[in-house]
Amino acid sequence: MNNQDKDKKAKSASEIKIDYDNIDVADIMTQIRAKIEAMPKRPPEKIPPQQDFAFPSIPPPDLPPETEGGRSKLKGILLKIMRPFAPLIKLLILPVHHELTETIKKLDLTNKKLDYWTEKFDRDLYLVNETLNARIEEVDRTINKRLDLAYDEIGRIKEYTKLLHSLSHNLVVELTKLKVEEEALKVKSRILEKDFEFLGKRERALEDQVFK
Amino acid sequence: MKVAFVVQRYGLDISGGAELHCRWVTEHMQKYWDVEVLTTRASDYITWKDHYPKGNDTVNGVPVKRFSVAKPRHPEKFGRIQNHILTNEHREEDELKWLEEEGPMSPSLIRYIEEHTDDYDYFIFFSYRYFHSYWGINTVPQKSILVPTAEHDPVIYLQIFKDLFRKPQAYIYNSVEERKMINALSQNDHVLGEVVGVGTEVPEKVYPEEFRQKFDINGDYIIYIGRIDENKGCHELFDFFLRFKKETSSDLKLVLVGSNILKIPAHPDIRYLGFLSEEDKFSGLSGALVLIMPSFFESLSMVTLEAWALKKPVLANARCEVLKGQCLRSNAGLFYENYDEFREALSLLLASEKLRESLGQKGKAYFDQNYTWNVIEKKYLSIIEQLEKRK
Repeated sequence: MNNQDKDKKAKSASEIKIDYDNIDVADIMTQIRAKIEAMPKRPPEKIPPQQDFAFPSIPPPDLPPETEGGRSKLKGILLKIMRPFAPLIKLLILPVHHELTETIKKLDLTNKKLDYWTEKFDRDLYLVNETLNARIEEVDRTINKRLDLAYDEIGRIKEYTKLLHSLSHNLVVELTKLKVEEEALKVKSRILEKDFEFLGKRERALEDQVFK
Repeated sequence: MKVAFVVQRYGLDISGGAELHCRWVTEHMQKYWDVEVLTTRASDYITWKDHYPKGNDTVNGVPVKRFSVAKPRHPEKFGRIQNHILTNEHREEDELKWLEEEGPMSPSLIRYIEEHTDDYDYFIFFSYRYFHSYWGINTVPQKSILVPTAEHDPVIYLQIFKDLFRKPQAYIYNSVEERKMINALSQNDHVLGEVVGVGTEVPEKVYPEEFRQKFDINGDYIIYIGRIDENKGCHELFDFFLRFKKETSSDLKLVLVGSNILKIPAHPDIRYLGFLSEEDKFSGLSGALVLIMPSFFESLSMVTLEAWALKKPVLANARCEVLKGQCLRSNAGLFYENYDEFREALSLLLASEKLRESLGQKGKAYFDQNYTWNVIEKKYLSIIEQLEKRK
């Protein structure tokens, strides 16, 4: 650890006041938190989530400064000058006015139609969503039920297989035992046959001796 | 006095928190009572498949009765059911189905308890959330004592447990926070309960220098002991530690001990040593400057107690109420809720040897006062004594 690090650490420790004879962790933590609060805020390391997009506001164009009194005075003078031409001006702007009124009416109608369709779309979307959710829940329930049944069946088959395995194992053991027993009996019968043969021979020999 | 300890798994090779807790308590209490352990044949806590032989067994002198698990757990099915009950409205029968799937489902164990109720004076159940505790306590509520080992996880809010928490005759809690949580959930303040926890034994001699040589560790280090897992806060610990290194240019090392199920960052100052023997573990702990406990969920944290027994300070995650509470009560550890607090608290601990020593001394005093086996045994005896007086 270099000296600079040690100095930093010592400084860090000296900023927190600790009563070593009577350590109070709560107090130390309060001091640590106060120290963190007092530190200049650092920019977060991770990029913050993007905020909702908004159009940038356009600043109003710079207009020459005008006083309120000067403006109304100018307006009065212009109106006085234009008064003789008023009928002509009205005649000239009549078609434009008519077209503007028509456009406004059309826009109003379009807005009403949009409102109607938006409302209808929302309603239909809600209904579709409800139906889909109900279907999803139903499918989920059915799948769960089937999975449960499948697991139970798998469990049953596993048990059954275990039993069959154990049964076949027992059968093999029993058959092996029987085979061994059969071999033993065969050996015994061969011995008995030999004994019988020997006894026959002995019998004949004894008879020979008796009737000699 | 005949006392049955009922637990989900039991064996020398089982190192899970509640199971080890139960084994240690049982082994220590056998000098006072005629004890017997009632458990399943399971060894694996994921599937609960039968592993040990059925019937009677003896573990470190304690008689053990093992019962078969009727249905092993299907982890996938269990996950699906748990997800359903935690995220949807459901009925009590769904919760019981969840409990059945969580297991270890051993109806023969419950039947045995029912048929032999009169043979025992008390049944001490470990871990509230398993099949054996729920049905066992419902079978013999008048003789039940529960050691809940509860953490602040979502299943504790299930309705079946709210009802269950009102049934035992007494509680043995691991921490003050656990008691508060269960009291608040089920309004069971009237039930007798005491904060006891579990004792631990540390070796008389530890060998920090040999540990350094054996694992080739030079310089100062802090240590984490436990499962290296996201739930244990290790991911956040790696992140904080690497940021701390970058910002302070410190040559501090982080030593990790325990089984690993998380990707550990490849960094020369993060040393993973794997699962160590008890001797190496304690030697490693004694050589560390600080024990770090980044876990979000703990019902007690035995390793924190072991650090205090060795006079080591602790730096804990304050979002785990139990760890924060233990640090405040003992005055033996600092804690953090975010990176800034982590950096400042760790810097403070590294900078001041005197602070580390003072915190370590406080930790040792707290351990001696609350967690030596002598104290734990007395608390268990006192609870039974109080229950006997009530009869």
